Amino acid sequence: MRLCHPRSGICRAVALAAAALFCAAGAPAAGTPVPHGTLELVSENQWIAPGNTIHLGLHFQLEKGWHIYWVNPGDSGEPPRVKWQLPAGVKADEIEWPTPRRLGTSSIVDFGYEDDVMLIVPLRAGAGAAVLGPGDGSAQLTGEVKVLVCREMCIPGKAQVSLTLPVKSQPPAPDAQTAELFAAARKALPQRAPANWRVSVADAHDSFTLTAKVGQPIAQASFFPLEESQIKDAAPQQFVAVPGGFRLTLQKSDQLLKPIARLKGVLVLAGDRGYIIDVPVSETVAARRDDRGGLDFVAASFSWAPLR
Amino acid sequence: MNRSTLCRTLVVLMLCAVPLLIAAAKVGDSAPEFTTTASNGKTIRLSDYRGKYVVLEWHNNGCPYVGKHYNSGNMQRLQKQWTSQGVVWLTVLSSAPGKQGYVTATEENDYLTKEHAAPTAALLDPTGEVGHLYDAKTSPQMVVINPQGVVIYSGAIDDKPTTDLQDVQGATNYVSLALEQAMAGKTVQTPATRPYGCSVKYRD
Repeated sequence: MRLCHPRSGICRAVALAAAALFCAAGAPAAGTPVPHGTLELVSENQWIAPGNTIHLGLHFQLEKGWHIYWVNPGDSGEPPRVKWQLPAGVKADEIEWPTPRRLGTSSIVDFGYEDDVMLIVPLRAGAGAAVLGPGDGSAQLTGEVKVLVCREMCIPGKAQVSLTLPVKSQPPAPDAQTAELFAAARKALPQRAPANWRVSVADAHDSFTLTAKVGQPIAQASFFPLEESQIKDAAPQQFVAVPGGFRLTLQKSDQLLKPIARLKGVLVLAGDRGYIIDVPVSETVAARRDDRGGLDFVAASFSWAPLR
Repeated sequence: MNRSTLCRTLVVLMLCAVPLLIAAAKVGDSAPEFTTTASNGKTIRLSDYRGKYVVLEWHNNGCPYVGKHYNSGNMQRLQKQWTSQGVVWLTVLSSAPGKQGYVTATEENDYLTKEHAAPTAALLDPTGEVGHLYDAKTSPQMVVINPQGVVIYSGAIDDKPTTDLQDVQGATNYVSLALEQAMAGKTVQTPATRPYGCSVKYRD
């Protein structure tokens, strides 16, 4: 039985739709190949302008089950690294890392991203227009990316991604084609903790006790340490609800042999929303003064500067 | 259930629980004892080497971080350098059957020959028992045990956590540093680091 006459409009539409579906499923995504995935360099803005900052995105699309790593990769692995080749006067800032996920459930736990993730990189064009040449021109932005892609096994990859943007003197206009991508990537970034939060961390010999007063009951929370070798990545984080917040017990890493002054990282509450924290570590649990609403909390000074 | 059955059950339960209660060894602890078979067919007991320095090297031949140190000849060089000075060098293979890095004794012996590797022995640990005793997270994680049987170093092989061959040169090798300092009667300056590499491919 024939479903439709080959020359009918409906049939052509069905065939086209089928072809589109087939292509969408079968064709590789745009971008440069990396092991078990692709990488594309995209811009949030249509052009760059001296004296302005624009944002680039390193958009990774990975095959199912494969992952890349957060700035602190956890027990194993390695974060992606970029070496930029940029016109004089243009400078790339550090990667803005999205809130990671715990990967692995056994004795080895890593922190990273699966499927689809975009790393945002701010790009600053120097104020002196002269550095980019007189008048309107174009700037080639190239990144040499080293990335470790893992599932059960790990494959190191290298990719060179490039983008040419016009240089104009007027403020950079957003690019509608990438707006959605950047909106999603921004949503995945950890945000500054609300000003009314009170977070304190106490050194309790073999563990750290993190207490967060957030002004509402919280059902679940987990902590991702920004720096390596501070807490046991694979150890369960004991969660206890306390009035107006929660307490997490974080087992210290065996590699942590000296006291630390501050604990930095991302607190993830139920719903996958990440909050940046950077709090001083007090010496003992007894030294904590909960009645005063916890110890000082600093979010503004938080820096994602590279650890190595 | 009569009394003796109950006792037997309790004993069995306690025996089962004991291995779970032993925390993995860390720097400053006594190195946990193990008995395991090497690829050369010999039975290796850690306590047989009391009085000597022992290096444990976690290995997985498919891991690119391990590849960096074998393809550059760095690992073989270290093995030869330190075994010639009386250090016992044990390569440990904790990959479970079916997982990356799992090999039979014959395959491992072929690999050692092909790579001109020179460990004292390559230990077959497909159950991951030795790996878990030392809380080995990655290949190539390294552990150094002193002649008194105390763990004096656990962590990375060096300070360049990458897969690039050119990073071997100029890297600070933590294993050599620990051995040199301990042999000179000094305190090991860097006794614990994050062990970089591929996760150990345990059964669980």
